[in-house]
Amino acid sequence: MPDNVGVMDRFVDRLPETAFFKFVAARILVPFWAWWTPVKPLPGGPHPSFQHGDNVQCMMNLIMPLKDKSPVGRAHAAMAIAQHKDAIFAGLNNVGTVHFARFVIVGDNICMFSVYDGDFTNYIRDFIATIGEVFDAVVGLVEGGEEITPCEKNVEAFIQWVHEHDLYQVPDTPTDFLRDQERLNGDKAVAPVNDDLTLLPRKMVLQLRANANVSLGSGYRAYPGYSVAQVRKQLGLGW
Amino acid sequence: MVDLSDLQGNVLRGYKDRPYVRYLILEVADRNAARRWLAAAISGRDQEVPQITSGDWGKAKPQTCFNIGLTYEGLRALGTPDSSLGMFPNEFIEGMTARAVKLGDVGASAPETWPAPFNEPDRIHLIATIYAEKIEQLDQVQQHALDRNALTLLGTREGYNFNGDFVHFGYRDNIMQPRFEGIHDPERHADGQPLAPLGTVLLGHKTNLEGLFWRVPQPEVLGHNGTFNAFRVLKQDVAGFENYLDQAATDLLAHPKVDEVLPPGTETDICQALPVESPSRHAALREIVAANLCGRWRDGTPLALSADVPDRNVDRAKFDYDENSRCPYGAHIRRCNPRGGQIVQRVANNSRRLIRRGVPYGPAYERDKAGDAGKAEPERGLLGNFIGASLGAQFEAMSCDWLNLGLQDPRITGSNDPITGTNDPDTSWFDLPLKSGGTIRLRGLPEFVNTRGGAYTFLPSLPAIRYLGSLTT
Amino acid sequence: MVDPSTAKRLVQVIHDNLPTPVPGRRPVHTIGIGVKGKFIASDVARTYCIAEHFDGAPVEVSIRFSNGLGGLEQHDGWSDVRGMAVRFHLKDGTASDLIATTLGEFFVRNVDDFFKFSEIAKREPFKRRHWLLKILDFLQLKIPQRNPYPGETQSIDEGALRYANQHRFSQLGIFQVGLIGAPESYARASYHAVHTFWVTAPDGVRRPVRFYWQPVAGVNNTDPKAELRDKYLFDELKERLKRWPARFMLMMTIGEEGDALDDCTKPWPGTRLRIAMGTLTLTGIPEGAEQAEAGERISFNPCRLAPGIEASNDPILEARLGAYEVSREMRGGCPFKWSADNA
Repeated sequence: MPDNVGVMDRFVDRLPETAFFKFVAARILVPFWAWWTPVKPLPGGPHPSFQHGDNVQCMMNLIMPLKDKSPVGRAHAAMAIAQHKDAIFAGLNNVGTVHFARFVIVGDNICMFSVYDGDFTNYIRDFIATIGEVFDAVVGLVEGGEEITPCEKNVEAFIQWVHEHDLYQVPDTPTDFLRDQERLNGDKAVAPVNDDLTLLPRKMVLQLRANANVSLGSGYRAYPGYSVAQVRKQLGLGW
Repeated sequence: MVDLSDLQGNVLRGYKDRPYVRYLILEVADRNAARRWLAAAISGRDQEVPQITSGDWGKAKPQTCFNIGLTYEGLRALGTPDSSLGMFPNEFIEGMTARAVKLGDVGASAPETWPAPFNEPDRIHLIATIYAEKIEQLDQVQQHALDRNALTLLGTREGYNFNGDFVHFGYRDNIMQPRFEGIHDPERHADGQPLAPLGTVLLGHKTNLEGLFWRVPQPEVLGHNGTFNAFRVLKQDVAGFENYLDQAATDLLAHPKVDEVLPPGTETDICQALPVESPSRHAALREIVAANLCGRWRDGTPLALSADVPDRNVDRAKFDYDENSRCPYGAHIRRCNPRGGQIVQRVANNSRRLIRRGVPYGPAYERDKAGDAGKAEPERGLLGNFIGASLGAQFEAMSCDWLNLGLQDPRITGSNDPITGTNDPDTSWFDLPLKSGGTIRLRGLPEFVNTRGGAYTFLPSLPAIRYLGSLTT
Repeated sequence: MVDPSTAKRLVQVIHDNLPTPVPGRRPVHTIGIGVKGKFIASDVARTYCIAEHFDGAPVEVSIRFSNGLGGLEQHDGWSDVRGMAVRFHLKDGTASDLIATTLGEFFVRNVDDFFKFSEIAKREPFKRRHWLLKILDFLQLKIPQRNPYPGETQSIDEGALRYANQHRFSQLGIFQVGLIGAPESYARASYHAVHTFWVTAPDGVRRPVRFYWQPVAGVNNTDPKAELRDKYLFDELKERLKRWPARFMLMMTIGEEGDALDDCTKPWPGTRLRIAMGTLTLTGIPEGAEQAEAGERISFNPCRLAPGIEASNDPILEARLGAYEVSREMRGGCPFKWSADNA
């Protein structure tokens, strides 16, 4: 049954896909709304939780912009990691709470993606204690790195710096994302509640402007709820 | 090396002969008056304000001792320069209430439920502690301390050290404190553990993590030799604990392996050693459960040295954990301090040690009078102080990864500390080890301890107090 | 347990919100198809739950797939919740039911919330949003309301949105409904049982769990821009089962201390333990009179549970016990015994 769909109706329905609208949205609308309703960047790392399952297999997505943004700079970063590979592996073994870790160069950033158990600061601190000099070598190549190296003498500042470069993890549900924004702005649930759910797309767009790099969701886990030592013990590998 | 007269006395000493303790929770009423108060407190002139007790008593032992700790808000209220404030560690700046999830202060322990004055954490600036031989001296010193209009009293908490160092749950406490390199401490027995580097407790010295130094807030005089304290008001549900022991003992009596846990005949030895009022297998099993949850029999005998029966003759402090230790991996003292035992975070052995200065509060629990005339039990518990050079690396790291998550040993991961953890009876568990190598899983542990207040404080050295007292801007 | 008058009110409220009455039919999930299948538990299922259908022996299963909307008109292609109700037939003639939908969480926590919701979210006329208003939406970086489907003149979407804006606990459920779409096949959607149940293991340990069905063929939704089809799902399923078997995995998530056990508006995070409890294979679709039995007269109840599985204190789950019975009586659905000795 055809409904009375006029020319303007059809035109407007297709509008968001046109290059014209995308240009207007990116260059005019988004900056305007960012100025009108400013949004603070959300902190990185997994959401705090006291529950066991949420405290194992936590994701870290560390993005560190290189000082030297050229193939030479990237080669330096690659060499720094390659030269210290043994130290890195020994450190990871000794910290005992890291499931997976890898260094990745994306564009002009050296990134570290890892899956670890327990509290973030303990993990980084134990790392500094075992492979501090590797951190110094890598972080020395990164923007802002000289302020926090040597990391053994700047433990607290280094941990804070890593936390600041860890990506915000967009929650798995859109409503949790709204609650994150509200909490950051200090909005408690005022009664009576009167939200506007239709603003969700805009809030998401503005947040992705403040947090340009994000991790989407808390990640997939094939065998959630187990620590490194539990897996190793269960498989008879010794922990 | 460190000069003991530079440190506040309560950092390295326990003030054993002063069992009456009162904590004054104070807010800075006037910045300049408060500064003068601080300057007077270390001036040596006793008439103005009580003098801060240092670590060096010289010839005369003081009758009362007086020490202070400052929160971040307190340092700010005193006008500490912003550049110095920014050098304090994050967790101290945020304050204990902001770290609630990490510390397990959730549900009935959540900061939103804390009573006054802990419900207004920003107003808590200074916590002063009075230790006295006689109870009247507490009022005297308090009166003396509040003479000036420098500080507003927000609230007090009071405790009393039972004879024999017993705590409300019935255990003998205060057996172990770390011994430090460079500090002559004749009272402490050798405990078989390596001497702790001074940096375990004092800022500006080598720490247990090789090569790592904690940031010393500048100027040097402010931060050097200072330390941090996690002050916690911990309510203890002794009635609930004793009831749980009853329930667990009843369940064990019906368990097929009960004779392995309690070989027939040994109940008399156990009940005699402790002692227990009406000896029976049930009573002995209660004590076995209590011993396993803690890691020590209630008289202080460590399970690692004597797992079958409490033994007065063992050295309570000197032991270590290995694969043959019959102390459960999840026992409270083993979780807090795994000593040299195998743990997942291998570099962290001995790195999360704390000095504990606690005192019980509230009336002693009397089992036979419990449930009298439907009266609610009075509140009782522990006023705890957990002192270390880095709150994040020591107190918080221990609370989060070891007490609440059990990450240090895969055999306990997924369970909370049996005595202090946020346990839900529907899901909690604790493994009781058997001599043969198996375990019996105890379930249904409720929460025994709730946090009813607390604050992170900085315990400045005496030169630091002088510096703060002399600030003029 | 909800009292009978409340149960009647619940059912009545749902009936009142129908476009046209549905005599003798269900007031929601009216359109559906009955399917036969077999369930075989995994080797670990029995270590978590002593219920008979988890012991490993193959179990006969009756299933009903359905479209969520109430009413006699069939609109498979409209964005709508789908249902998968499963009855595990036990040896002594009793059964254990598991009712699941493609919506992962509910939008109200208890009966009072539901009545409030029904007052606010009523059927309202649904017209295409004027193009000028849509441009205004774009300028505000909002996504305008979707266009009505051909023949769709009423909708509760506006009312539901109003309710969601005022009640934070409902926002996730209502938001997800808006995006749910239409599956390519009943066998290519995930179905969630939403409520928490307690399962008892052989050693007596009870665990709070939530169940969901995961399609082995994977989730696949229709393209919302393609032309809408009103009736394709039943034929699709018939064709599919002629070609190859359709399977689902039964996954069980174990809750932890601190999880919302009795609140069905709160999903559990992906960091919880996930147990593979078994595989369900769809074997055939009855025809004729047997289809009327299997697709229409059959009546499920989310609280009909084998020993070893118990309902939690979720107020919606409790309410459904009574509401489903009332609705079954109203439409003349087939009663089914609750225990071996009652007919």
